[in-house]
Amino acid sequence: MSVGGRSSASATARLSVLVAVLSVPAFTGVWELIARSGIVNAVLFPPPSTVAVAILEWIRTGQFFGDLMASLSRVAGGFAVGAAGGIVLGVLTGRVRLVSSLLSPLFHILRPIPPIAFVPIVILWFGLSETGKLFLVVWGVFFTVWLATHIGVQKVDHGLIRAAQMLGTPQPQMLWEIVLLGALPYVTVGLRTAVSISFYTLVAAELAGSFAGIVYRIEIAQQNMQTGQVMGGLAALGLLSFVADRSFAILAERAVWWR
Amino acid sequence: MIPSLLCPDQPLRLVDTHSPSASARQAIIRVEDLSIVFDVPSGHVIAVDRVSLAVTQGEFVSIVGPSGCGKSTLLNAMAGLERPFEGQVLIAGEAMLAPRPEIGMVFQQPHLFPWKSVRRNIAHGPRALGKSKAEALRIADDLIAMIGLTKFASAYPHTLSGGMQQRVAIARALANQPRVLLMDEPFGALDAQTRAVMQDNLLELRERINATIVFVTHDIDEAILLSDRVLIMSAGPGRILKDLQVSLPRPRSSAIVAEAAYLALKRDCLDLIRSEGRRAFEQMEIRT
Ligand SMILES: Nc1ncnc2c1ncn2[C@@H]1O[C@H](COP(=O)(O)OP(=O)(O)O)[C@@H](O)[C@H]1O
Ligand SMILES: [Mg+2]
Repeated sequence: MSVGGRSSASATARLSVLVAVLSVPAFTGVWELIARSGIVNAVLFPPPSTVAVAILEWIRTGQFFGDLMASLSRVAGGFAVGAAGGIVLGVLTGRVRLVSSLLSPLFHILRPIPPIAFVPIVILWFGLSETGKLFLVVWGVFFTVWLATHIGVQKVDHGLIRAAQMLGTPQPQMLWEIVLLGALPYVTVGLRTAVSISFYTLVAAELAGSFAGIVYRIEIAQQNMQTGQVMGGLAALGLLSFVADRSFAILAERAVWWR
Repeated sequence: MIPSLLCPDQPLRLVDTHSPSASARQAIIRVEDLSIVFDVPSGHVIAVDRVSLAVTQGEFVSIVGPSGCGKSTLLNAMAGLERPFEGQVLIAGEAMLAPRPEIGMVFQQPHLFPWKSVRRNIAHGPRALGKSKAEALRIADDLIAMIGLTKFASAYPHTLSGGMQQRVAIARALANQPRVLLMDEPFGALDAQTRAVMQDNLLELRERINATIVFVTHDIDEAILLSDRVLIMSAGPGRILKDLQVSLPRPRSSAIVAEAAYLALKRDCLDLIRSEGRRAFEQMEIRT
């Protein structure tokens, strides 16, 4: 009985691996069949083969590379500026009473406003320039990283700080080494959340009016009823954001190098 | 070579507190009418109540008392980590209002920087005080050899046992060549066996450095074994009940606990603590 039970358990395990491997191909196959069967409008719901052709065409014309670079530079640039600002101000508000009294109330008021809601005013301020797009991404990233750092800094083991004080650690080293590294596990969590936020805000920034970029391409394709290209764009965006998140997770693991 | 490292301008000098000159030596630490009060939601707690004491240069003094009696608060005030409510703490004639690198501290927890190797943890102090990297690492390497952790020089703290971590914490405090070393139940979190080894290590170490040591513990045996003088504190509010000279010969080792002179001393301490405990208990009875 027990032998039978064990072998049926391993059979279940094998089956679930098989199902997992076949899941995406099966889904794509069913999609292809439904789209070609005439049950649905093939223009609005094109089969995967049409999407694949649209993606290949996108790459072949060289537009894909330009779009990718435009989007990537907005995300990366906005992330870098927002994260740096968030970390620096997070350490200061978390550790220096006066700076905290000055800035924390303001940040707590601004933080809950969804960054996308700033699109109209960003267009008024910056028009359709790159600065405006960068601003939106920076805005989204900054508050997430600031809050994570601020909280992390306050959770730094007080004993570490006392030990450092007893050893004569000067104030700048206290802030940028002891406090910042002490808070690093929290900071990396904030940075990882900010990676996905930078993609959300990228979408808003490009939809608000741009001349290149993956989301821009999706919007143009929509206006031309190229549904295959729209879906191809979504797939590209999903893949890009997935790769960014994964690589950041690996990076974050390494960042806390002493563990 | 280690002694000359720790006291570069003086030859190795064993501190002999039994010589007549010891009492004539100047007090390096003076605590004068010190009171420390904490604000708590329900009012305030008097953690240290008008304590006065003096520690002479090179002396090893223990402070013993039940937990919560204010030992850590008193030591933190000597470290400049806690401000006096009343009175003052003078070290080398200067009021302790903030930590000074010539005063070293070892806490109950090692509090090593987890992102630094053993070597860099120990080099932290000299670096912070502006020594060159090479010089700081040389100091660290000498101290690592002294605590017997050469094999672990580049290990990160979390890979070490509690006893090893505490040895690193002691070495880190010594790297700044402190004139005064404050130790707050440094072996309190260790198992009995490791603690005995650490006590013997500290006795040896003490012969090689000439820092004045103030050692807080709630363990009477530990206090008598290590010290020239034991101060016994009353249960809160913290006050000093008794100042006990320990004139057992040095060098000592943990084997001392079987000797008659030691046992007599310990009995005195215990009687004192017991009667104090009874008094505190009776006071409580009357109050309730
Ligand atoms: N930061 C603080 N805030 C409020 N009360 C404190 C603080 N630190 C210590 N105390 C109180 O002061 C008393 C003495 O504490 P402490 O010096 O840590 O005792 P010990 O080290 O002898 O165990 C205790 O009653 C403790 O609760
Ligand atoms: Mg304590």
